[in-house]
Amino acid sequence: MRLVIARCSVDYAGRLSAHLPEATRLVMVKADGCVAIHADGGAYKPLNWMNAPNTLVDEGNRWTVTNPKGETLTITLHEVFSDVGHELGDDPGLQKDGVEAHLQELLAASPTSIEHGLTLVRREYPTAIGPIDLVCRDAEGNVVAVEVKRRGEIDGVEQLTRYIERLHLDSSLGRVRGVFVAQSIKPQARVLAEARGFTWVEVDYDELRGLRPDDLRLF
Amino acid sequence: MKFRCEREILADALATAGRAATNRTGTLPVLSGVRLDVAGDELTVTGTDLELTIRLTVPVGGQIDGSAVVPARLVADIVKALPSGAVEMTLGDDDLAISAGRSQFSVRPLALADYPAQSEPDVEPVTLASDQVADALRQVVRAASTDDARAVLTGVLLASEDTGVKMVATDSYRLAVRDLPPTSMLETGQKVLIPGRALAELQRLLSGGHELQVRLGTREAVFEAGTTRLTTRLIEGEYPNYRNLLPPSYPNVLTVGREALLDALRRVKIVAQAQDATPVRLVLGGDTLQITAITQDVGNATEEIDASYEGSEMTVAFNPDYLAAGVEAVEGDEVLLSTIDPMKPAILRGQGHDEYLYLLMPVRVP
Repeated sequence: MRLVIARCSVDYAGRLSAHLPEATRLVMVKADGCVAIHADGGAYKPLNWMNAPNTLVDEGNRWTVTNPKGETLTITLHEVFSDVGHELGDDPGLQKDGVEAHLQELLAASPTSIEHGLTLVRREYPTAIGPIDLVCRDAEGNVVAVEVKRRGEIDGVEQLTRYIERLHLDSSLGRVRGVFVAQSIKPQARVLAEARGFTWVEVDYDELRGLRPDDLRLF
Repeated sequence: MKFRCEREILADALATAGRAATNRTGTLPVLSGVRLDVAGDELTVTGTDLELTIRLTVPVGGQIDGSAVVPARLVADIVKALPSGAVEMTLGDDDLAISAGRSQFSVRPLALADYPAQSEPDVEPVTLASDQVADALRQVVRAASTDDARAVLTGVLLASEDTGVKMVATDSYRLAVRDLPPTSMLETGQKVLIPGRALAELQRLLSGGHELQVRLGTREAVFEAGTTRLTTRLIEGEYPNYRNLLPPSYPNVLTVGREALLDALRRVKIVAQAQDATPVRLVLGGDTLQITAITQDVGNATEEIDASYEGSEMTVAFNPDYLAAGVEAVEGDEVLLSTIDPMKPAILRGQGHDEYLYLLMPVRVP
């Protein structure tokens, strides 16, 4: 990641032409080649930008960024105040829901809380269309694919359906069935899960964490 | 579509149906709208989020029949803000014109074709005494949970037993149980779980004093009062066995004036609410009931009211809101608070009103 703070003017030529007059701005060049020019305001949207793939020709006080469509972004640097680079490395991605990941971890540690007799084969079981949250075996030795969600909705059941289809392609696995697990499951998702031949289980996150709430409860 | 309607009537209808329209414009943006259907001199307004549907019919001066779906909140806000008198709505090619006096608005409608079709109930209706139902709802719905994480607890249980019908709600901290006379609506042994949110809406609709007709299907319940119809999906799932929580007898019983207790709680709550989760402590023993709230870094409050108490001396603490809600829900001039010990659930009842009980879990205090 290269960050340049400079007094600059920018010209874009492509489907239309646009001109940013001379002012102090942040020019961001990302490792994948994306170039973005930011003002000191607004959360995320640059004043102008060019997505990767593109080529950046740095001629000192004049940068020319060209993409395969022939569009060009010309940045004229009048005065550079700061020019720093940092290696950020691979990004782990946006973790949208910490509870969901933790729930998966807790269930992997204690698969019997999903169903009696269940043993874990692998967490994040790889398939060509993405990893299955948990793959287990039941007491009879059947393969059980488990999809874990915080809130169980129809799209989670659809996801489990796709995984089961993938697992069916591997004849060495034998009989495969699906279990849909969530803290709470919407009635429509339950109906769909049952219609697809899956079982569904609601689990208590606090109980899995071994938390005894301070508040006394009736049940 | 073109009609005229009195502002008050139209604003009420839009607000009522709009409460069922959803704010979440996820998969089906059209659900953020209300559907307007004009046929002759009747306007039907419908709002739904697919779980709950409210549909009502109001008299209008109809000029052109037709239908439209309009943004619920926006149109309700506009109509509410218009000067009193007649409001005219006219559906054009791509907008809905709303006018009253010298005010003119134009609103872009939502896609009528996307609005979900409403099915007509095919179950025979049962008529219930609406005042009795309204009273029971007032007492019970307050105890239902609003936390979707345990969907079953967001429902109100209607269970038909040999002695009549029980209406039950709980959020796992408190439990409200009301006895109702037997009704042909439920077969003996039948149980249904109706969303508390729908029943809270029903409670509002019943304030009009209309007769209540109920149709109970396998997946949904339909309530009709006057020209308003409320349809709700039923909740599936096993309701907790609440009967185990009700011990046959309690060794300690406090009898106290309901109004005096409510007044004292209101005052003590001022200090208790200054900090989250401050319980109120009830010091039981003798001829007075002492109620205190100790809120660290804020202050203390103490109230004393006349009471009679039979049992061993003890201090038991409760969430002040839950306690006040229970006292408010019971009928009669005097309240009976029955306890076993400071860690076990206590029961609130109205003196001479055995048809209702409110079970309340105490709070641990140091």
